[in-house]
Amino acid sequence: MTVLTRIGEVAVVRRDNKFDRILFATMLALSGFGLLMIYSATRDSGTFSMERQMIFVAAGLIIYLVASNIDYREYRGIIPGIVVVTLLLLLAVFAFDPVNSVNRWIPLGFFNLQPAEFAKVVVIVVLASHLAPSSRDELRPRTMSWQKVLQAVVIVAIPAALVYMQPDLGTTLVFGFILFAMLFVSGSTWRQLVSLLAALVLGVLAVLQLGLLTGYQIDRLRVLFDSNIDPQGIGYQLRQSKNAIGSGQLFGKGLFREGTLTDFNYVPEQENDFIFTAVGEQLGLIGGLLVLAAFGIIVWRLLVISANSRDRFGALIAAGVAAMVMFHVFINIGMTIGVMPVTGLPLPFLSQGGSFYMSMALALGIANSVWLMKTPVPGENQLT
Amino acid sequence: MKFAVRLSILGTVFVVMFLVVGLRLWFVQVAEGPAIARAAEEQTWIQKTTYAPRGDIYDRNGVLLVTSRMVPAVMIDRTFVRPEEREELITRLSALLSIDADELDAIYEEEGVNARFQVATVSSDLAYQINEQLDVLPGVEIAQVPERVYLSGPTLAHVIGHLGLPDEVDVEENPDIDRNLRIGRLGVESSYDRFLQGTSGILEYRVRRGEIIDQRPPLEPVPGDSLELTIDLELQQLVELALEDGIALSNAVKEANHEDGEPAFTVTEKAAAVVLDPNTFEILALASVPDFDPQLFAAGIHAETYADLNEREALFNRAIGGRYPPASTFKAITYTVIEEENLPFPERDDVDTANRLVNCDGKFILPDLTDGSQQVKRDWYDGRFSFGWLDIHGALQNSCNKFFWAAGLGAYLALDGTARETVMQDWAADLGYGSATGIDLGGEIDGTIPSRAEFERRAEIQRENPDAGLLHPSRLEEGGAIWQGGDLMDFAIGQGTFEATPLQVAVSYAVLANGGRVMEPRVVSRVIDSSGDTVQEISSPNVRTVPITSATRLSLLSDLGRVVSSGTARAAFGEFGDGLDQIGGKTGTAEISGNKDPHAWFVGVAPLDNPQYIVVVLVEEGGSGGRIAAPVARHILQYLMGNEPTPIVEGEEAD
Repeated sequence: MTVLTRIGEVAVVRRDNKFDRILFATMLALSGFGLLMIYSATRDSGTFSMERQMIFVAAGLIIYLVASNIDYREYRGIIPGIVVVTLLLLLAVFAFDPVNSVNRWIPLGFFNLQPAEFAKVVVIVVLASHLAPSSRDELRPRTMSWQKVLQAVVIVAIPAALVYMQPDLGTTLVFGFILFAMLFVSGSTWRQLVSLLAALVLGVLAVLQLGLLTGYQIDRLRVLFDSNIDPQGIGYQLRQSKNAIGSGQLFGKGLFREGTLTDFNYVPEQENDFIFTAVGEQLGLIGGLLVLAAFGIIVWRLLVISANSRDRFGALIAAGVAAMVMFHVFINIGMTIGVMPVTGLPLPFLSQGGSFYMSMALALGIANSVWLMKTPVPGENQLT
Repeated sequence: MKFAVRLSILGTVFVVMFLVVGLRLWFVQVAEGPAIARAAEEQTWIQKTTYAPRGDIYDRNGVLLVTSRMVPAVMIDRTFVRPEEREELITRLSALLSIDADELDAIYEEEGVNARFQVATVSSDLAYQINEQLDVLPGVEIAQVPERVYLSGPTLAHVIGHLGLPDEVDVEENPDIDRNLRIGRLGVESSYDRFLQGTSGILEYRVRRGEIIDQRPPLEPVPGDSLELTIDLELQQLVELALEDGIALSNAVKEANHEDGEPAFTVTEKAAAVVLDPNTFEILALASVPDFDPQLFAAGIHAETYADLNEREALFNRAIGGRYPPASTFKAITYTVIEEENLPFPERDDVDTANRLVNCDGKFILPDLTDGSQQVKRDWYDGRFSFGWLDIHGALQNSCNKFFWAAGLGAYLALDGTARETVMQDWAADLGYGSATGIDLGGEIDGTIPSRAEFERRAEIQRENPDAGLLHPSRLEEGGAIWQGGDLMDFAIGQGTFEATPLQVAVSYAVLANGGRVMEPRVVSRVIDSSGDTVQEISSPNVRTVPITSATRLSLLSDLGRVVSSGTARAAFGEFGDGLDQIGGKTGTAEISGNKDPHAWFVGVAPLDNPQYIVVVLVEEGGSGGRIAAPVARHILQYLMGNEPTPIVEGEEAD
């Protein structure tokens, strides 16, 4: 493949450009911290959750390094192939027996592949390619055409629909957020965004009216406003997670302390979607704000990469990745403290989960590649 | 807008999102933190309820009727079950207890995280067997839990009631209710639930990784208080058997009549009886047929069994909840009103107003009350014989409707439109009709006394909704009268739209017999704590006193005596034995609309010198009161008066 054969070449050409060290260091720090918290949340459960996650972290770092060293512009040439593979994988999940009545995974023996996680990265790249001018000579109108906007909607809607059918409401919402963020930065008008939003709201109302949302998805929204709904289920989860985080107070109860709610296993899924409860309880507001700050740094670096990209394609990729990370952090931490519905979105780099970790590493790796390519070599033209 | 500007706006949005999360985090952890921390600490303490045995129930002679025994029960404490052990645990338990695994898993799921709950009560053999396997059954324990035991079976079922788990209504009324704890339903199990229930104990401990690491001193459960009923079990059993015999008699008579070519409409299967002490208003026996076995509910009833009970109306206490016209039993009340209020009689050929005599020849021809046409009301003996001229004594003795119709008509003609027009209804209300008696049992109804006001109320409803069917449509037409003289005449003989319960009939006779004291009937005499000390005496409050002159009372009692010695119940009481002169009573046969047999009534009073017992028997759609109900009451009165009760055989048709 041309992509692989050019790795070495690119590495040589770009050796003067430096890795985005801050981005990489923050990612490493969060990953290490995530392992610590997974250990804390599961140390006595006998599930070896941390050990498994270490393997995924290692795999993720390799993916990051490889992606960093591939010229991101190469992806533009193979988009049809990537899209076909992604859609096939998204369809393939329905061929396997559902786990907990959802079709999300493709069992590979050693681990379960969750195509939706990678689909998010693919959608970012495809959208970026669609929204960026394909060459320097492309005529660029002052405003984005409606046609372009609607094509972007279709690009996102197809994988989003497949993910929604799994069902995975949380990831479906991620697609929506990425779409809006990328449409905005790439120049769509306010009117286009507002119309799109209105159409979306009407669509959601129609879905509710037609009963397409399953009972548990509706409950997860209702429970935000009335914790008495399902006190043993989501209500319980929400209350316990809020109790755990709240009781951490300013400084937390201390790592690995016995007698905490985390220690008592009171918070369901505390190593997955609810990993932040362990952080909040054991390390308090200080720990929680440090984690938020780390994510702040990642998002900030991604926006800097976007601003410094050599071309619009790279800039949009970096902005899309920033939006993806931001949305995950906002929804995930928001749900553990009761400002967002329980949508089942994991926290980047901290939550346990192989596909999710690797897809996040891939996304940052691609962004890093944008950073590495930022200075045009002599003879190349920068497209802004 | 430049790309950089757009990127900056996106960055600003991200900053706002971080701020929202950060501020909320500060709010939860610092502003609300200390309060949440306290709640969270308390929450790691697991509270387990230990149930108290419910109090016992005794009859008036100290015979134990209902008790609670401790039985082994299989409990699951989810705190001790690791998620990966769940499936195997469910499989093993479902095999041991013969419960469907899916059903058991559903219960397990529903109880929720860290719940401790009872799966089923088991035999001691099975409990022993499970005890041996506890190491492979994580979270399972055998606990002793109280279970209700109804020693008297279906006897007294409606007075005792049964248990059931709280339903949505109970939870709405009391959100703190323990949904695992059975509470009383019907009977004294329900009305005295607060005494019987006792107080659950609490066990508090902390569990970490399946082991108890900390424990607080337990709060022991306090057993419930016991009840002593006013009921006499032996009498109750006799009354229930007598009702069954009465039902059998009714069906035999219907069968025979049917063979003689008379139409037989229904099969008799329902009846009720009350034995009341008119001096204390203690209920000595209260029965309703069909009945049920409260034991069926002790550990949870099967849906089909419950549906079957409902189908048969077995849970319905018809002695306090059934609506029946009191029919001729009400003549004793009309009798009292005539005497006490000196009711005028109408000027007619067949009425001697001066001597207050009526020619009881079987037919009462109504004057042109409404439309000018003549109507004929036929008495029960019409076409068979005539009693001739009767005074009030003979009229009660022979249950002559015509006499009381005349009294009703006289009252209507003289008093309608005056302040005294409801004099008869007022007396009925004073004696206990038209409102619940206040007995210490749930499910009592008010009944209805027909009056102009009541009929106006119905007319109002029917004008709104013409299909209500409350009144004959002609009454609402132009020129029609909503309340008519015929209505008061019907009321005078306890018919028409008059509705009363057997208990109300018993109460009214008790008041007439005791000289006018109205009290609330009681089935419980005292509440006793577990060490045998009286917690509370349950006495009947004196609600009001109805002024009845001694002359009227004595005259009525003596005429009630003539009913059984030479009147409509003479045949039924033929074999009473010694002391018949101390027995009084009144037959009643309640005509009901539709193709149905009449309800058979009998009210007995004994002894006449100093009444101690009021006995009311009602056989629903049983036939004639003198024929069916009187023999049943005679059987009961024989027992009460110390005679050997003789078999229940057919009496004589009357009313």
